[in-house]
Amino acid sequence: MDYEEGKGLRLKQVCIRPDGVEKVTGHLKFLTDLSFPNMLFAKILRSEYPHANIVSISTEKAEELPGVRAVITSKDVLGLNGFGLIFPDQPVLCKDKVRFVGDAVAAVAAETEEIAEAALQLIEVEYEPLPVVDDPEQAMLPSSPQLHPNGNILHQASYQSGNVEEAFQSCDCIVEETYQLPRQMHAYMETEGGVFVPEKDGTLTVYAGTQHGYKDRYQLARILNMPEEDIRVVSSPLGGSFGGKDELNIQPYGALLALKTGFPVKIHQTRRESVRSGIKRHPMKIKMKTGAKKNGKIIAHQVRIIADTGAYATLGPAVLDFAVEHATGPYMIPNIQVEGYSVFTNNGVAGEFRGFGGNQVTFALEGQIDRLAVKLGMSPLELRQKNLRQAHDPGPVGQKIAPTDGAQQVLKQISQSKLLNSCRKQDHNGLIKTGVGVAITMHGGGLGYGRLDPAGGRISLNEEGKIEIAFGFEEFGQGLLAVIEQIAIRAIGCSREDLHIVIGDTYKVPRSGSSTASRGTSMVWQAIQRMKAPFQNSLLERASQCTDVPVSQLKIGEKGVWHQDELLISYKELAKQTIDKPLIIETRFDFPATPCSIPGGHFLYSFAACAVKVEVDLATGFVRVKHLEQAVAAGPVIFPQGYLGQIEGGSVMALGYTLTEEALIEKGTYVTENFDTYLIPTIKDVPLSIDITAIEELCEEDEYGPRGVGEIGTVAVAPAIAMAIYDATGIWVNKLPVSREEIVNKMMETEMSKWLTSK
Amino acid sequence: MADKQMSSSIKLPSEERMRMSIFVNGKKKELEIHPAARLVDILREQLHLTGTKISCGIGRCGACSVIMNGRLVNACLVRAYQANEKEIVTIEGLAEKGLHPIQQAFLEEGGFQCGYCTPGMIMAVKAILDQYPNPTSQQIVDGLSGNLCRCTGYSGIIRAVQKLAEKETSRLDSKC
Repeated sequence: MDYEEGKGLRLKQVCIRPDGVEKVTGHLKFLTDLSFPNMLFAKILRSEYPHANIVSISTEKAEELPGVRAVITSKDVLGLNGFGLIFPDQPVLCKDKVRFVGDAVAAVAAETEEIAEAALQLIEVEYEPLPVVDDPEQAMLPSSPQLHPNGNILHQASYQSGNVEEAFQSCDCIVEETYQLPRQMHAYMETEGGVFVPEKDGTLTVYAGTQHGYKDRYQLARILNMPEEDIRVVSSPLGGSFGGKDELNIQPYGALLALKTGFPVKIHQTRRESVRSGIKRHPMKIKMKTGAKKNGKIIAHQVRIIADTGAYATLGPAVLDFAVEHATGPYMIPNIQVEGYSVFTNNGVAGEFRGFGGNQVTFALEGQIDRLAVKLGMSPLELRQKNLRQAHDPGPVGQKIAPTDGAQQVLKQISQSKLLNSCRKQDHNGLIKTGVGVAITMHGGGLGYGRLDPAGGRISLNEEGKIEIAFGFEEFGQGLLAVIEQIAIRAIGCSREDLHIVIGDTYKVPRSGSSTASRGTSMVWQAIQRMKAPFQNSLLERASQCTDVPVSQLKIGEKGVWHQDELLISYKELAKQTIDKPLIIETRFDFPATPCSIPGGHFLYSFAACAVKVEVDLATGFVRVKHLEQAVAAGPVIFPQGYLGQIEGGSVMALGYTLTEEALIEKGTYVTENFDTYLIPTIKDVPLSIDITAIEELCEEDEYGPRGVGEIGTVAVAPAIAMAIYDATGIWVNKLPVSREEIVNKMMETEMSKWLTSK
Repeated sequence: MADKQMSSSIKLPSEERMRMSIFVNGKKKELEIHPAARLVDILREQLHLTGTKISCGIGRCGACSVIMNGRLVNACLVRAYQANEKEIVTIEGLAEKGLHPIQQAFLEEGGFQCGYCTPGMIMAVKAILDQYPNPTSQQIVDGLSGNLCRCTGYSGIIRAVQKLAEKETSRLDSKC
């Protein structure tokens, strides 16, 4: 193995990431910073109504406006008028019906953005409004208006083991609760955008951020009716994504307008346009009934999940499968019944978002464990320990998984947190209460069983004499470039200056699959392990042929191949001398999935435990997270700053999810349209110290290396905060974001009843 | 008639222009521009200084933070007529002679990830340190409360600024 077995606390190591200097100097060109000669600007007309029939669309007046170069509607879609990562049910441009306020009806390319904006106002669309379906439970009724030909249920998933009904009969303690989770917005700082350039040879270059360049190319080829090879997708860097730019967004419109006008077309959505059209985290209503014996052994767990998937599918089915799979988390429960429904409504579109359904069910599951613990009079940590999985236990849906002791590791680590034993401070008038809470989670990586999840990479010695490492992955801030650099340096034995890393361009990179599902780091490590020996051997053989020194005496090092502490031949020279026979090593393989036939069932899991300390102001209901700790078990750390940043950043994103963030929709229309009402945490809202411990040890026989940590840091935070609020106030939170009003009201009720009884 | 009513309610781009001069990163620029053009667009589109970013467009996120006559402003809220004759420092003006210490600290402490809020964030840190060379935690969080970062959770940013403050303290100590 090529990683050094660390002892966890080496996350503060300084290592400058390869894209760092360009980022701190502002020199990095994001794709929305690009401009080209004769570039036009595009705007997209979105639906006025959350649900309506389109009676007519007239674009004549817009077309007559000076400076307008093209107006497109559904009849201008060259190929398939639809997109969607699983099935293409979202119209590129709606023809006769709109199903949410972000549905595109027309788009304009003009000489300036102002003219394009004005032209939108000249497009006349006559709508016939239809009843708005804004409640997923109502949408499930046969009497509800049906939004799609197959009805309003996008997807149904379930898991069953044992017999819960019988098991509940023998429980000593049962907790039943309904949890409600909000629509969270990714709120990446760079809104969707890019430039679309028609090339002289009839091909199209797309400069637009995504999490999977090849998938965008595939979807665009269908829409444009063009061969995939004629479309080049340049897809990195991105100013954040978090799942939000995984699905197509503005690409179809830019591409169609560029082909129609023959000029480069730029689109950069405003924040309002982004909020209106972009996907969000699924709001879910989760009902759980969980029963235990007096001794704390949980024997029955019943779950019903209803997810509001909005108007179109995107990855809604997979998110639901993930939620169903993770509904029992790291606990071994003999009788389980989980059923989930992902339901169409006119409430925006919900889709892929960091955590992927795990955040919602973990909030509910950990809430159940804490409520059970209180009811049983047992410490929440002890109750977790009693039911926790062991290294060789099957996965949460009974499937075979890679052995892992992560659950035990993170629980043990967090149990030692000083936070949990810190004294409870109270201010003198007793209005500020302090509480602590802990939660744990397990999280599957990769797309799972039954889903195409190919990975791959390429190492070559390029003409300039650089060791070129190419992956079809994207850099949206997570530090993938640094991960590739670190793994490559350690595996090959060269220096960072010898490397040339290529990502995010379908003309230059091999297929590696998506930069999603915590798979990037994992796949880069596995790919380089596969390629390193053939590459090294071939490199040394060539060096030997060029120098007549036997391979056994050669060593790969900085700048080139070395012989007895001397640089024998540089990579540059080697490349020059072997230019007729370039050295290229490629690999292709799949992300490991469980062999058990469970749709989306995972094989590799990572784990986290979170402890928080909160202060609750009883007079205002304000909750402040004072300290936050996370222990993460995800294998070896590759790039310490990136690992730390993922968990710290994930923690704060989850803090927002818990306390302030909700993309509010009323009757199908967004109420929160920008950062003035959609409140992501500011620096004033975060704990000044967040302590992260990385547990790097894997099971002895584990051969899968480091797991990605892009998602795991976001999952256990919300339930830990909810428990801390209970600890401080005695109030159980079952709905996020935490309502300050509800805290104040409940405290007043409690105080009132105390006062009444004392009288 | 219907057409006339229609077009009278439509906001068409105005042709009005003003002459302005602006000093950006020490260089004087003369422009013909709409008086209500946003400073952020002037920087990005007229002067091709794309380090200054646009994100919320309403002064809530700080991605477009620049320093105007010594004070931190949101370039999306400043109009051409307000920027006329003013001195502007953008992120491109910070690193003209090698990396600025703030940039170095951000690199070392992980004060950025995607890098989109970073130019604005670094300008905000500069504004703090210009005012308080050795800022307290309160001054740091007050000074950065108008700059949103979605990636880092602010931890790396706080470490970077604390590192700069510590360096300043030891510099002062060694002088004494």
